[in-house]
Amino acid sequence: MDNMNRRKFLYSGALFCCSTIPDWGSFPFLDGDAIASVSDIRGEVFKGDAPETIWKWSCEGRYYAKILDNKTVCQLCPNKCVLSPGDRSICRVRVNSKGKLYSLVYGNPCAVNVDPIEKKPLYHYKPGTPAFSIATTGCNFRCLNCQNWEISQAKPHEVRYVELFPKQVVQEALSSRSLSIAYTYSEATVFYEYMMDTARLAKESGLSNLWISNGYMNPEPLRELCEVLGAANVNLKAFSDEIYKKLNGGLLEPVLNTFKTLHDHNVHFEMTHLVVPGYVDDDDMVKRMCGWILENLGPDYPLHFSRFTPKYKLDRLPPTPVSTITRFRNLAMKEGIHYVYVGNISNHEGNHTFCHGCGKMLIERKGFFINKDGLDGEHCRYCKIRIPGVWI
Amino acid sequence: MKKKNEKQVIRVVIATGVSSVVTQLYIIREFLVQYTGNEFVIALILFNWLVIGGFGTLLARFITPRFGKATALRLGVLSLCLSGLSPITILGIRFLRDFFFIHGASVGFYPTFWYIFLLITPYGLLLGFVLPYSLYVLRCDQEDYPPSRIYIADNLGDVAGGALFSFLLVYLLTPVQAICIAGLPIILTVAPFFRENFRKGSLYGLIASGVLAILIGSVFLESGSLKPRIGDLVHYSESRYGRIEVHQDEGLITLFSDGVPVFNNQNETTAEEVIHYPLSQAENPQHVLMISATGGMIRELKKYNPASIDYVELDPEVSAVLFRYKLLEPTRGLSVINEDGRAYLMKTRKKYDAIIVNLPEPDTFQINRFYTNRFFELAKARLAPHGVFSFSMDGYDNYLAEPQRQKLSSLFNTVSDHFKEVLLLPGQKIIFICMDSKIHRDIPSLLELKGISTDYISRYFYGNVTSFRTDQLNRLMDPKTEINYDHSPRLMRLMFTQWFAKFSTSPLWFLGSIVLVLVIYLSRLHVEEYVLFSTGCMTMGCELMIVFAFQIYFGYIYYQIGLIITIFLAGLLPGAWIGEKLRRNAGNVLVWTDILLIGLMLVFITFCFQWGDKLPVLFYLCTGFLFSVLCGCQFPAALEPRNNVKKSVAGAFSADLIGAALGALITSVFLIPYYGIIGAAMGLILLKMISLIMVGRKHG
Repeated sequence: MDNMNRRKFLYSGALFCCSTIPDWGSFPFLDGDAIASVSDIRGEVFKGDAPETIWKWSCEGRYYAKILDNKTVCQLCPNKCVLSPGDRSICRVRVNSKGKLYSLVYGNPCAVNVDPIEKKPLYHYKPGTPAFSIATTGCNFRCLNCQNWEISQAKPHEVRYVELFPKQVVQEALSSRSLSIAYTYSEATVFYEYMMDTARLAKESGLSNLWISNGYMNPEPLRELCEVLGAANVNLKAFSDEIYKKLNGGLLEPVLNTFKTLHDHNVHFEMTHLVVPGYVDDDDMVKRMCGWILENLGPDYPLHFSRFTPKYKLDRLPPTPVSTITRFRNLAMKEGIHYVYVGNISNHEGNHTFCHGCGKMLIERKGFFINKDGLDGEHCRYCKIRIPGVWI
Repeated sequence: MKKKNEKQVIRVVIATGVSSVVTQLYIIREFLVQYTGNEFVIALILFNWLVIGGFGTLLARFITPRFGKATALRLGVLSLCLSGLSPITILGIRFLRDFFFIHGASVGFYPTFWYIFLLITPYGLLLGFVLPYSLYVLRCDQEDYPPSRIYIADNLGDVAGGALFSFLLVYLLTPVQAICIAGLPIILTVAPFFRENFRKGSLYGLIASGVLAILIGSVFLESGSLKPRIGDLVHYSESRYGRIEVHQDEGLITLFSDGVPVFNNQNETTAEEVIHYPLSQAENPQHVLMISATGGMIRELKKYNPASIDYVELDPEVSAVLFRYKLLEPTRGLSVINEDGRAYLMKTRKKYDAIIVNLPEPDTFQINRFYTNRFFELAKARLAPHGVFSFSMDGYDNYLAEPQRQKLSSLFNTVSDHFKEVLLLPGQKIIFICMDSKIHRDIPSLLELKGISTDYISRYFYGNVTSFRTDQLNRLMDPKTEINYDHSPRLMRLMFTQWFAKFSTSPLWFLGSIVLVLVIYLSRLHVEEYVLFSTGCMTMGCELMIVFAFQIYFGYIYYQIGLIITIFLAGLLPGAWIGEKLRRNAGNVLVWTDILLIGLMLVFITFCFQWGDKLPVLFYLCTGFLFSVLCGCQFPAALEPRNNVKKSVAGAFSADLIGAALGALITSVFLIPYYGIIGAAMGLILLKMISLIMVGRKHG
């Protein structure tokens, strides 16, 4: 056995260094642009990752365009993934197979539950009723604090799922005595076709449809969705493009457009803003956000300030102080928003609904126990003013 | 003159050993604070440290001849640089994290690996370089100067550094202060190298002043490096077990343990879940044992008016801080017991109505001991006939992912061997309730019967912990998943899988690359170098195994574990001395020490399995000592057949270090979690058998 000479030593060292780099995508140093990776976590198309054959739980995408060389451009969300044959979209559930775009999540939800509607959270829509909730895998965002990352950041074949085609979903929802079907947990936009077909059947059966989303959908598919929606809860994760890119892997503008579209189509919606310490706990940002809401949407859409707790990859931050949430609630109400709630805090005044006219308590919420004594139909029992929302 | 020079160099080597061990231990702690402190990351740090050291040693072999003679002056300059680099490395780890990664986000395997590699490299390479360079300096005066003397001096410094850290510095100083103090002897010991003339003296003055400025400046920079981005740092301490920080942001008080927020004063949900889910099942819980705690637990516990609450917390600093910042409140009947929970259970004869374990996820050997078959058996033995035992794992919101399902299943199967009824309740945490009598699922009703009011459970239980969700979770438990044993911590393997799944990555590329590079490296080694390589690997593997076994039987007892590690380092000294005396008979020494190492490993494993906790602490100390004596003995013997040439010295040093790196990695993240302690022992024996065959063939 000969000794190692310098050339061999350097060769071995270089080989050692190079061979441990397969995880380029997750490593900012070697991503080509270190700083950009730290400040922008938007996802990338999975090249050549599509299954060879399309499985049973698939359908052709409704919103896409064919371009040269059998490539497709998905037009469902602002990511606008350009997929060559064999590629998989950023959201992990859409693939180009032989020049056609397919959704791989049609009739195969991986999470099915019956939840109180308040859990979505929807406080001004049929309070105290159960919502049949379904989700498939996939998401067009990469939120570092995702509470459902086990499914939102997974491909359809990587999880346990049940077979539940649209008709069966409606049947199950009816037999669970739910009044609505919530498309929730991961990101409902990515199973758009499944959601649309289910929502149409649900509407025909007298069930409401709830879209719980990050709001990252293009206007055209959203307008079609609005026709069948009962209500929506859309996250407004930050009022800053920089933070959207850094913590969520998305952009702010398309989300704001979603709010405008929902507003234009008279869909009842509520907004959720998760207050992540050190990122979106800035009074000025909250003021600007409220200003935009008031100017573009008006004061009546409920706004929820949710308390952050360490989750998924963002697990080295402390939770949001309760006082910060309280301060933001007061600030938003002072700015002029009528209904501002707190989330993930039990036993807080901000869980209840107070009339924007007379200030009296209309709905008392003790967790999921709802007392609607202050409401008379859709009006305040005391000052008779109409309370925005759908109250059955 | 020659003798004087030798003494001076030896002093520098000892001072470097002291400084480097203190620096290494603080660097490990610093990385664990900045990154996930699981066994994989611990192994990665050790691996990087040793491999880079090994490469630094090899570098000395290539670089030194290019720049003429090795001189004491250059050694002095390099050593001074080393001393200045220590605090820079620590501060670099702290300051650069948020530059390379997103603030508040945990980091996956490959980024962690590269970050460790990048930041350790300057110090590690220089440290590895200096050791053989010291020898080259001495060989300028005496060509056949024995390398074992340098080896002994280095080990002497290591032992002193380890003891200094474990028994003194960790209690008295902050990391940067400690590193600076440990670096001062280098500045003093290199001074004689510069005495020759005024020019050299000035050079020393200049460099030493620069290094001193760095050391002192670093101490002043340290408080800034600890300042949180959110809120204020109201408490900071370095206990022997890790770093404790308390941050205050408005009314929120959060206790961070090794960089992770573990307790806060505004988390009533977890406190209610971990206390009321199990205690609501007990008829009249009078004697309750809590192994570790979370904020608000005692407040909830008081609602049952127990006669005694025994709160066991390993780290006295943690329990003191919890009470000081009112995360826990003192109450009648409360006893705080600062010792290892498992050791306490083995010792006490008290029977409890409820035992609640509130420890982190089992991603280290230390924590895994609280989730094994044997521990559950022990807990059961300390329970009153209708007592309840409970522990918790991280929860999930809407989908139980496969790695987590396997982890929960393993726990379920392990604990089910000891309790007739086991129920898992989903929530912010997944609570395991274990009893021999019927477990009721309707917690709010049970609490109402007892007249206990709660904020979270009474309001949210029925919406969050529905029968559907509870049934689904319990139905998903896989009866085929392996049971978690002390000797075979399968749960850790599942924890690793879960960690890798979280970052959508796999260690296989890394391990594959290691194997490839290793094959190339091993094919270039001489027989004697292979002996040292396998010995380095076995020594590190044995050290980990002995500490692992000791913890199983005696608990995490800081001083005794510190003693085992010190003994391990100390044994190398007499070993090297004996090896030096016997080096004329090198072939036989290598063969016999290999045979003895294999035999000793077999004895250790047999005794562990046969008598386990009946063995005295002395057994572990003696075994560790004997292992290191044999290892130390091999170093001078392995160098002798090749006449101590410059190349072979550097090769031997690096083989020892690279072997140790591999031993740290494979033993803790591969052999023990996958094959258990016996499998690990067999793997290390196999490695030594190959060495024995090779050396046997060469030396007849």
